[in-house]
Amino acid sequence: MPDLSKLKELIFETDDNACFIERERILARLDKEMADYNGADKQARVFATLLSEVSTPVYACDYFAGRVVEGLPDEGMKAPSILLEATGHMSFDYEKLLRVGLKGILDEICAVAHKKGDDASLQFSDNARILVDAIRDFAVRYADEAERMGRERMAKALRIVPFEPAYDFYSALQGIWLIHMIASCYVGARDYAFGKFDGYMETYYHKALENGETREELAELLAGFLVKTNEICGRCAYDYRTKPVLSFSSKQYVNIGGEVPNEFSTVVLDAAMRSNMAQPEITVLLKPDADTAFTQKVFEAQSVLTDKMNIYNYPATVAAFINMGIDEKIAKDYTYSACCTVDLHYHTYRREYYVPVPQILIQTLEGGDYTSLEEVLEAFRHRLCADMQHNADEEQQDRTQAEGKYFLLDALLMPDSAVECRYPCDGTSPYNLLNLFCPGIATVGDSLMVLDKLVFEEKRYTYRDFITIVRNNFENHEELRQEILNYTKFGNDTAADKYTVLAANAFLDAADALVLKRNFFAAPGFYSLQRDNFWAGEVGATPDGRKAGEPFSENQSPTYGADKNGITALLKSLSKLPFERTVTGGLNLTFSQKMSPDILQALVLSYFQMGGFHVGISVVDKETLRDAMRNPDKYKSLTVRLYGFSEYFVSLAEWQQIAVLNRTAY
Amino acid sequence: MTGEIFNIQKFCVNDGPGIRTTVFFKGCPLSCVWCHNPESRSVKKQILCYPDKCVGCGRCAHLTVDTPDFFCPNGAKEICGRTVSTDEVIAEVMKDKTFYENSGGGMTLSGGEPLFQPEFALELLQKAKKEGLHTAIETCGFAAKDTLRKIAAYTDLFLFDFKESVPALHQQFTGVDNRVILENLKLLDELGKDIVLRCPIIPGYNARPDHYAAIARVAEKFNHIIGVDIEPYHSLGEGKYRALGKDVPEITMPVKEEVDTVIADIQCKTSVPVRKG
Repeated sequence: MPDLSKLKELIFETDDNACFIERERILARLDKEMADYNGADKQARVFATLLSEVSTPVYACDYFAGRVVEGLPDEGMKAPSILLEATGHMSFDYEKLLRVGLKGILDEICAVAHKKGDDASLQFSDNARILVDAIRDFAVRYADEAERMGRERMAKALRIVPFEPAYDFYSALQGIWLIHMIASCYVGARDYAFGKFDGYMETYYHKALENGETREELAELLAGFLVKTNEICGRCAYDYRTKPVLSFSSKQYVNIGGEVPNEFSTVVLDAAMRSNMAQPEITVLLKPDADTAFTQKVFEAQSVLTDKMNIYNYPATVAAFINMGIDEKIAKDYTYSACCTVDLHYHTYRREYYVPVPQILIQTLEGGDYTSLEEVLEAFRHRLCADMQHNADEEQQDRTQAEGKYFLLDALLMPDSAVECRYPCDGTSPYNLLNLFCPGIATVGDSLMVLDKLVFEEKRYTYRDFITIVRNNFENHEELRQEILNYTKFGNDTAADKYTVLAANAFLDAADALVLKRNFFAAPGFYSLQRDNFWAGEVGATPDGRKAGEPFSENQSPTYGADKNGITALLKSLSKLPFERTVTGGLNLTFSQKMSPDILQALVLSYFQMGGFHVGISVVDKETLRDAMRNPDKYKSLTVRLYGFSEYFVSLAEWQQIAVLNRTAY
Repeated sequence: MTGEIFNIQKFCVNDGPGIRTTVFFKGCPLSCVWCHNPESRSVKKQILCYPDKCVGCGRCAHLTVDTPDFFCPNGAKEICGRTVSTDEVIAEVMKDKTFYENSGGGMTLSGGEPLFQPEFALELLQKAKKEGLHTAIETCGFAAKDTLRKIAAYTDLFLFDFKESVPALHQQFTGVDNRVILENLKLLDELGKDIVLRCPIIPGYNARPDHYAAIARVAEKFNHIIGVDIEPYHSLGEGKYRALGKDVPEITMPVKEEVDTVIADIQCKTSVPVRKG
């Protein structure tokens, strides 16, 4: 019998040191066997051999077939093998997969290749056929196993999907999972997203209801599907004790809502509450005036799922896309393919760049002798733009050869790549988004505030003297540093916020000034990932009183402990940021007690009405966190929000645990 | 008009419906032995000292309660209490208007005891009403009837303390007789004001079955009591007793299971919803 609790238990039993052992053994062998072979079909042949040899286990507790055998690496094994590798961070067009099947996609590719007639296109279609045949045969082997286990529905589905179109709700989910698992675990890459899940699954949901299945049964089935996504990386945390798999700390994003949420959107939320695991992250694209039943369900789910949910201001983001020059119809179909990278209707190829904004501020301050804040801002903007342009020039190249790891499977599931017989990363996608992330925005804003106050307004220090004090890490000026630390900073709904707004606009103006190809778009946002800590260790003191090596502000948040005026003041401060010019970024709010759905709804909708962009929450009791640090075995399932996603607290590095503890909790 | 307060707390979700801003008045006519806001009892400004944080820098050598913008970098001393005008308070409260509108929230007066500064409280409530806010007041109920009548006209919800049912014990635990309080409760009920009874549960004092039974009786007796909040003693005020140089009351915190039992017992005897406050 399929069993949700058993499936969850198995996730907690996974070993972060284990690899996908069958994959590794087969690829290690093929690496040797095919060392001298460099044919254009090499990767396709490796892929086909791999899928033909790995086992196809079906567990009694599985709702859907498709699991990868794990084991500790053999002695001397270099896991994971990169003989097969992809980039991930993209949304596959599962709507098309369900509608036409791999067979339909392949037919289209072959027709185009035949018409184009060039060698590259014909090779592309030959490779596509090898892949599609391999996946079909792999599914049939799973069907045989399912039949042996007496799982008729599963067996029937796997003899059809994902090769042929899906024929019902179950077969649709089965087809998606098989592809998702192959892409993540066998080819190997992090963060494949499910796109606009409630959009393409709604039809199958209604058909199932018409055929007599109940909402309850379908929600249960869907929960069994959602739990599977945790098998991709187990409990491994981002950037710490990396599991020896290419999908290490992979995050999965299920997008719902948008222009017209439907009845199935609420089923997704119910299923997510049943599953309630770190994966997948439920990303809600929320219209503040959305259907009441949907809105209420969103906040009911948020009060339960807490850190496992993202809520974005949908109309504000669409407006920002339109401001960027994206067609409205395409803009309205946007989804998130990762914690912070956006996808435009499966046509996007995404690159990302974490702009070293705090470092550039320091270089700016050191590099001039300014007499006003305006001069500082002008120089800062100029340096930001030069830095970003340098990166953009590199990113706009064709990366197909340069990186060599872009595997054909990604191209099959990205519709515009497939029908043009080209790789998604060749630079010709209609929407190449350069995600430009700005870490430490509050650190920069507060620094400008302190500089303006002490040097330009009160003239207590000459510019050079003050910069020297900062460069010397406030040595022998501890009293001044304490005074600075006590200033009211960004995050308290006061006039001090204007400096962070100035800093934010300087960053966005610099992004606007980039010279880009016609099909490249700057997609800026305020987001740090782990750069607030990761970089900060090597960065000198900043004028806001931060000493050398101390963390920067995280994502869109104020600097640690600066928000002293309550959460409503914090949200009002944040809403002053120019979010109408950003399409990515995130805000993590921490509560010390469980919040009712009504209160969460009022908070988030108020914030969005004022122009807020995104909210993710954690509910943590600091005593519990401290106890979890001392007794990790007691808290295996405790999750917290980190960066832009959910993580198991006990899987985090100590410095990450401390960062979570240091957040202001409301 | 000005008054004495010691805090304006945003995003309060337990002091009435929705998201609220609570204004904490300084000064209280009662002297409850279990008071968890000892800094609120005197209407006068006070200096709170935290000796364990002091590094002996001497910045505070000339500190008085009237020193403007005093700041101790180590948080070892702070001034508790400030004189503010009703306009200042309302301006601060109105900053969160959007949150009140989306949550059905508003302003709550608490303390200390808001009715200890009745004119200041009245003017605040009038101004809040003029702004269209939902208003609530958390009160021990020890006030003149006329005062309460005036206040009631601008107050949507009373969070009314019911500390002790036995008159002699009430006198002993709080320093005042409870007759005035009970009469005021009756008055509010007659005026048709919504009331939530707030009942502190203090081991060694009022944590007794006969008092629990009395809570249920009172909840049943009046027509406009819409809820009973059971508030178990907590020790969060201990640090503030020390900061004021006062002895910390020796009271143990009730465990969660005991509180759940008390709530269930009271709920058995009344149809008014009983919950942990």
